[in-house]
Amino acid sequence: MRQLLAQCSLGDRRAFETLYRSVGPRLHGVAQRFMGRADLAEEVLQESFVRIWNNASRYEAHLSAPLTWMITITRHQAIDQLRKHRDRPLTEVEQDALADEGPSALELLNSSREASALHRCLDTLDGQQRQSITVAYFQGLSCAELADHLAAPLGSVKSWIRRGMERLRRCLES
Amino acid sequence: MNYQPPALRRALAADYAIGLMSSAARRRFEQLLLDDAALRAELAHWQHSLASLTDPIPEQPVPEHVWQGITARIEPQVLHVPEKRPFWNWLRITAAVCSIVVLVFLGSLYNRDDARYRATLLTADAQPALKVQAHADYLQVEPLTLAAVDADRSLELWAIPADGKPISLGVIPVGGKGKVELNEAQQALIGKPIALAVSLEPKGGSPTGQPTGPVLYQGALAAL
Repeated sequence: MRQLLAQCSLGDRRAFETLYRSVGPRLHGVAQRFMGRADLAEEVLQESFVRIWNNASRYEAHLSAPLTWMITITRHQAIDQLRKHRDRPLTEVEQDALADEGPSALELLNSSREASALHRCLDTLDGQQRQSITVAYFQGLSCAELADHLAAPLGSVKSWIRRGMERLRRCLES
Repeated sequence: MNYQPPALRRALAADYAIGLMSSAARRRFEQLLLDDAALRAELAHWQHSLASLTDPIPEQPVPEHVWQGITARIEPQVLHVPEKRPFWNWLRITAAVCSIVVLVFLGSLYNRDDARYRATLLTADAQPALKVQAHADYLQVEPLTLAAVDADRSLELWAIPADGKPISLGVIPVGGKGKVELNEAQQALIGKPIALAVSLEPKGGSPTGQPTGPVLYQGALAAL
């Protein structure tokens, strides 16, 4: 995959298509998870691959794995779109969908009993810290929006996240 | 703002990685990232950890039109409309030129009244005497320097095929100008390698079906 990205940065369309065929479904899943709607997810996926193509030369192989880099791009696209849609009043259906995100994010997390370092470390956090981080991650909510969403004081949410992240960090480095 | 304290850098990288920053704060942080390799490394560390949150998400097949949308975006020069215009202009110009050529051709055919063959008949001393244009079913004759013909005589036009036996095409109108109508057998001769000849005959044409008087003029019938 590193090789394919390197070829993309040289303008190799064939390499790009190979990359697309191999990681497209993965990124589509991520986009769908963020957007919750097929049309929006496809839009995000398309924009993500356009960015991957245009920014292939900026990929720093020593910093991150190719898939992480591409997931990050997809996630940023998704968050941009989510924020754009949040800037206008939400329809009732979307409100409900948004309200459903929290639990499903947690469910998703809980359902995966993978032994990844992050999940092991997330398990060491208390519920509010874990929920704040995962909801923030999957919805691109700012601290204020997150406080609103979790119906908790802004100061509390900030400290949950800050402390949660620090604990995560220590756990991941141990 | 001083971005050097490690704890602050780490916290900012964490906020950015998790997506807590406002758009403006994100842009500022991205500017910092450009010149700060250590900050990029810090961020990559967080991104790597957090990306595993997406591990349980199932893959999802991608509809084919997404790829088409992507290629349309990264190759605008191929699918962009302006790129097509020169082609269409070229096609239009070509079509217009073709139309004009066809019209001019048809017009010239019409003006020529579909004349296909022509002969200039010469006197024995090579003087042009009569012009003949062969149309589909008639001959158009025009005098150039015709000798005077007595009132009781006619000029008769003959086709002389390769075998040399003359076939009458009819009598030339008095004065040498006009049409000589062709029947089907005569029409069939036009286009074959024939010579035309004009003989002096009794009024109304040769009574025998073969030239009886002297041949005054002759010439080959040639395609236009």
